[in-house]
Amino acid sequence: MTTKSRPPHVAAHAVMLLLSFIALFPVYWMFQTSFRASNEIFSSALWPNAPTLDNYRAVLATMPILGILQNTFLMAATTTLAQVVTGLLAAWALVRWTFPGGRIAHTLIALSWLVPFQVVMIPNYVLATKMGLLDSIAGLVIPNAAAAFTMLVIYNAMRGFPRAVIEAARMDGAGSLRTLMGVVAPNIRAPLASVSILCFISAWNDYFWPLLLIRRVENSVVQIGLQFFMTQEGNDWGLLMAAATLASLPILLIYLVLQRQVVDSFIKSGVR
Amino acid sequence: MAVAHTYAPPRRLPRLKLRAFEPWLYLAPAVTVLLMWTYVPLLQAFELSFYEWNMLPRSQPRYVGLDNYVNLLTLPDMKRAVVNTILYTTGLLPLSVGVPLVIAILTSDLRGPMRNIYRAIIFVPMIVAPIVAAIVWRWLLNEDHGLVNALLQHVGFNAIGFLRDPQIALWTLVWITGWKLIGFSTLLFAAADSAINPTYFEAARMDGASRWQVLRDIRLPLLSPTILLLTMMTFLFGAQWSFVYINALTGGGPLGSTTNVYYLMWEYGFMTMSAGWSTAAGILVFTVLGVVSLGCLASMKRLAVYDD
Repeated sequence: MTTKSRPPHVAAHAVMLLLSFIALFPVYWMFQTSFRASNEIFSSALWPNAPTLDNYRAVLATMPILGILQNTFLMAATTTLAQVVTGLLAAWALVRWTFPGGRIAHTLIALSWLVPFQVVMIPNYVLATKMGLLDSIAGLVIPNAAAAFTMLVIYNAMRGFPRAVIEAARMDGAGSLRTLMGVVAPNIRAPLASVSILCFISAWNDYFWPLLLIRRVENSVVQIGLQFFMTQEGNDWGLLMAAATLASLPILLIYLVLQRQVVDSFIKSGVR
Repeated sequence: MAVAHTYAPPRRLPRLKLRAFEPWLYLAPAVTVLLMWTYVPLLQAFELSFYEWNMLPRSQPRYVGLDNYVNLLTLPDMKRAVVNTILYTTGLLPLSVGVPLVIAILTSDLRGPMRNIYRAIIFVPMIVAPIVAAIVWRWLLNEDHGLVNALLQHVGFNAIGFLRDPQIALWTLVWITGWKLIGFSTLLFAAADSAINPTYFEAARMDGASRWQVLRDIRLPLLSPTILLLTMMTFLFGAQWSFVYINALTGGGPLGSTTNVYYLMWEYGFMTMSAGWSTAAGILVFTVLGVVSLGCLASMKRLAVYDD
């Protein structure tokens, strides 16, 4: 680019190394503490002298963590699927047709993002109770089956899709649903995938609604399982860190495999 | 085929009428969910804010007019929660906007494989579950055995009660909330920064502009949409993001020093079971948020500089 030789970016590397350290060290510390026996739990050494799996055995014995992880996976996957489907259908309505009420519907969906959950939590709780959704995975999914954010991301992706292709499909006699599923959706696979990643991670990490809805630990999701565990086991740090590691593992594995895509989808959602 | 097509019967009228409903069929699932779980509840919350109700299924809500609002505005709880909410929000700004902006500018020349490695690492806190972050920081900052205090004592300081000292606890929670955001914001700024057309910098350099002038007159204005976006997100959601940490780590204490309006609503709603107070506080907060976001959107339109 420029012919001028650049100075070595010592300062830039130093800043980035510091930031990387701040970001990663707590996660590392959780990980290494989970392998510590109780007699060396308070040591400040970077790695335990005699790493052990005892904490993991104890977690598996005291808490139905595998069932909880399964619940969480089921909840996050269903929520993601529901949000993408409702978002895809709603976005299609707004892209394909110009119709009276369309703008209002668009605004209504977009603005729902501004309503803090704490403001509507009591009516939501009452409604969930009436519908018999307390303490169930369905209760966690149904209120989150549509989200402004997901719909808007899909809408923006769809709007960039060439109008002429949609028209051509219509001329060929394809119904609107067939055009959506056969022509439009396959062509916005990349944004659909990235919004799915975002949905999954945020559903997995959701805390507040499960906190209200879930009563029994067998029915809980990891976030609430950890909360129960923290209240119960207080300061058994090895145990807590093993539980926290188990709860984070699935997301960290997804991140390890799809690192690029995950970062990109978060960034794109921000610079929308 | 073409012949058959010509003789196809003309479209019937009922079908045409159906067409007008077609977009609504597609909108129905999303709109139903949002009406059921966001908008109708919002109206119900507004209605409930004029009632006294302990949320027990058999008890009847009792109409109390504006009492809930009057009580909220006169009792000290709400005042402290509002002050703390402002502290949370402003305390978060350096971590969600200031520091990331500086870092992104300082490191904008970094290229090569290391850049991608940094990117991957500094993003990690964003995907760590809030409750996991709470547990891990509770361990690192533990007063008696945590690593941070061990190091502090090692170099001769006294141990700090990060979560127990009323002067400090709120800032600890701000830090944990911010820890999750710094990397993400930095990457957002870096993405915006690398999208700036490099010929601007070349042109400015040819005109003899100093580094500072380039920063002030080119970089910052072109980064302003991102600066405003992140500031707006922090204003609107900063205090909400802290909720998990308050609930998991301090319960609003010590001495009410870490509570905020969202935690107050939660306490009123699900601990003291006063639905009226909780919803009244919620309606007040929602109104303020609405005004703030309108203000933010207006200033975004006015202040942001777009490269087009």
